[in-house]
Amino acid sequence: MNVTLSDAITLGVQLFALFNVAALGAVSLVWLERRFLGRLQGRPGPNRVGPFGLLQPIADAIKLMSKEDVAPGSSQRLLFYASPILVFVPAFVVWLTFPLARDVVVRNMEMGLFFFVAISVLSIVGLVLAGWSSNSKYAILGGFRAAAQLVSYEIPIITMILIVGMLSDSLDFVKVVDAQATVPFIAVVPLAFVIFLVAGLAEVGRTPFDIYFAESEVVGGPFVEYSGAHWAIFFLAEYVNTFVVGILGALLFLGGWRWPFGADLPQVASVALLMGKAYFIVLVIFWIRGTYPRMRIDQLMAMAWKWLIPLSFVLFLAAAFQLKFEWPWWVLTILSLVILVVPVIVQSRKQRNPALALAARYAANAVVVQAKPRPAPASEDVAGATPAAEGTSP
Amino acid sequence: MTTEPQLETVDMMLNMGPQHPATHGVFRMVLKVDGERVIDVIPHIGYLHRGTERLAEVETYGQVITLFDRVDYIANLNNELAFVRAGEQIMEVEAPERAQYIRVILAELNRVASHLLFIGTYAIDLGAMTPVMYGFRERERIQNLFEHVTGARMMHNYMRIGGVKSDVPDDFVPWVRQLIGEVRKGVEECDKLLSTNEVFLGRTRGVGVIDGPTAVSCGLSGPSLRGSGVPYDVRKDDPYEIYPYLNYKVPVGENGDCWDRYYLRMLECYESLSMVEQCLDQIPEGPIMAAGRRIARPPAGEVFVHSENPRGDLGVYLVSDGTDKPYRVKIRPPSFCNLVGLATMTRGSYIADAVAILGSLDIVLGEVDR
Amino acid sequence: MTEQDPQAAAEAPKAAEAPAEKPARHGPPIVVAEEVLNERGEQTAAQLASTLGTLALDSAGRQDTPWARVAAKELHAAAKKCRDGEMGMDMLNLMLAVDWVDRIQMIYVLYSTTNNRKAILKADLPAESPSIDSLTDLWEAATWYERETHDLFGVDFPGNADMSPLLLYEGFEGHPGLKSYPLNDYEEW
Repeated sequence: MNVTLSDAITLGVQLFALFNVAALGAVSLVWLERRFLGRLQGRPGPNRVGPFGLLQPIADAIKLMSKEDVAPGSSQRLLFYASPILVFVPAFVVWLTFPLARDVVVRNMEMGLFFFVAISVLSIVGLVLAGWSSNSKYAILGGFRAAAQLVSYEIPIITMILIVGMLSDSLDFVKVVDAQATVPFIAVVPLAFVIFLVAGLAEVGRTPFDIYFAESEVVGGPFVEYSGAHWAIFFLAEYVNTFVVGILGALLFLGGWRWPFGADLPQVASVALLMGKAYFIVLVIFWIRGTYPRMRIDQLMAMAWKWLIPLSFVLFLAAAFQLKFEWPWWVLTILSLVILVVPVIVQSRKQRNPALALAARYAANAVVVQAKPRPAPASEDVAGATPAAEGTSP
Repeated sequence: MTTEPQLETVDMMLNMGPQHPATHGVFRMVLKVDGERVIDVIPHIGYLHRGTERLAEVETYGQVITLFDRVDYIANLNNELAFVRAGEQIMEVEAPERAQYIRVILAELNRVASHLLFIGTYAIDLGAMTPVMYGFRERERIQNLFEHVTGARMMHNYMRIGGVKSDVPDDFVPWVRQLIGEVRKGVEECDKLLSTNEVFLGRTRGVGVIDGPTAVSCGLSGPSLRGSGVPYDVRKDDPYEIYPYLNYKVPVGENGDCWDRYYLRMLECYESLSMVEQCLDQIPEGPIMAAGRRIARPPAGEVFVHSENPRGDLGVYLVSDGTDKPYRVKIRPPSFCNLVGLATMTRGSYIADAVAILGSLDIVLGEVDR
Repeated sequence: MTEQDPQAAAEAPKAAEAPAEKPARHGPPIVVAEEVLNERGEQTAAQLASTLGTLALDSAGRQDTPWARVAAKELHAAAKKCRDGEMGMDMLNLMLAVDWVDRIQMIYVLYSTTNNRKAILKADLPAESPSIDSLTDLWEAATWYERETHDLFGVDFPGNADMSPLLLYEGFEGHPGLKSYPLNDYEEW
């Protein structure tokens, strides 16, 4: 195929614009997270640097860029410096297929969903290499944990994307959004959204699944030996990935730029609607971060393999049956709610209710100490003492 | 089938060094791990050893009180109370009732502040970053009260042998009443956020189990021991000050795991607040310092006194030779003894659990190392 | 004698502060406290006497805690009797060493969680190469107490498997807990 110069220039401009959108989105997430978490915790969040602290991410970036670049002496230098790039590049490449409005897309592929899945998996390689090439025990531990976690949680995400693809009869993002013209898929398969969100959290490495770089345990995991600008790349990649999860959720489940206003919106409004939905999902992700502790790696893996993967297969079957027998869409809603209720009940029975019972029991079985009657207070203590005698303090 | 020779493996020594976000101070833990399982844990302490006991031998009794402030720098007033009671026993004086009530009020409020710090730091060790903010907000309120009464937020140097340094300000009782309401709401917030959270339960239930007899043999005390089912509380078993005149409950756990130890401290917060309320109702007017000789030149002899710190059973063994400086002061730090049980609790658990178990013991390195 | 605060005593001219082991140069003669046991203490003292039998060299007590002095060689046997006998002392609450310059006295505070009684065992050790049998096989709490006492006082505990320094670091010379350790003239570098 012939690529003319004007094509190349157009492509270059589009890529530059896309890069800015993604990067600005990630940077805005940095600010938003700190302010939002601050408000959740009863404190203001950054409010010194610029109005409302809006320049805080820039201050962070300047600080990180100006740090000394330290690498462990025994690390594999080439891989050590290449790993951030390997993590960072897939996070941006997937943006090629995301349509921010019907016509605001760099390359809309017919296999858009498949492209996303294929490219996003590549960042796992970068993480493992980062851990291994740092040549440090904590880093290796973190790298192994990251690999196990990310690979396990790919399966539910892929299955959910498959379900969306089945329901909209196409892997093309634009057609997926068009299929949600009347009813967004979150109403059709709410369980798919839940599984997508949970698996997406695990893919990005956000609480409650951030154990592989948990500060209080392995102090940074695969990122522990990175400093300054290199660590900033990992940091940025994490936020870009979070934003991707938000945008993907908005496109796949919340109706994209169409629902509920229809296809006749001006482009700017469409983009704004999509971004609004994406930021809403991102805020939910931040809310979860502020509330939950971290899961341990084996609990995380158990949750993936014992719960999310079986549930996603069951849901896949349900969606397949609905399509085959051409039931109305709300049958799938009811089915997925029923399936969702099962793990909630099981987990309540196993963890929460015993804990509540135990808490009540400890409060009730506490050893009671009865007060003895007080002797009548003497009106005067030892003779010579004045009330509230002040000690001569130094 | 013949058994093949096993693959030769080497256990990895993972060092959670003196500088680590989760070790609550300068504490070094060397974990011998096999993959993700901990086989043994070797604690190294002594990074904060300041020679408190030896210093106490060259300082007068009044100066030693400031040393005790700094032994457990989170529960300052409880430490002062232990030493001051030892001094009173050996000098055979008794503090007047008002002074005892003031002491108990401040000590119980300090217990709540210490437990709030524990809840916050334990939560953030496990990854929940919000309870620490709520807990420290309540601690601020309590420390404001301390500043109003004693003049300092942390190292108070307020109690004296025979009483307290100065009387409380006039607005003490209404201030404390309002404070109790606010702190109780804060504690409830932390409780609702954390105690029955699924993920928190998964991290702490069944983790770090130690049974009663082993715990007693290791010398554990406080909520760490009560979590294993041994109802030993110095306020109940060996009452001192005006504790006999208060109605309170001592919660006791059953399983001896991290969640038990955590939840008992949560329940103790509520109990302490209700104790402070009762004290406020009962506090009499009167002198705040025992009359008589003020110079601390006690008769020669030995005395052993123990009291219930937030962390456990703080013991003070005071040997006096008749001069104005103690001859020997030995502090029995509850965190030091609780750490003896760390190895038993951690064997066989995951690395992430080691952090959870260490956090649930609620150690303060100033106390461990003195 | 003027009434001064404990704080004011600190501000008294430095000349008046004598080192701790010399008797005070001012003030009244040193009074030795009379050790009186209350009722509960009398009961515990009776139990202690019947448990130890002839092992107790002398005994007294204060308030509700009796103490009994035993010979250093008999301490392990005495502690075992306290733990296993009717006293049921299942917790070693505190263990310390006091440096009376001519001897080192080991003090063990025992507590029974079942009976809620405290008792103290004392043993005298010679000042040169003090050594006493380890109690780690009776109470696990003894492991760290003994390491600490070894660090600070130089007391040997044969039978304790791990005597590496606890509070001090490897290679530290001297035992800071002893009265003979130079507190103010100490130079490390």
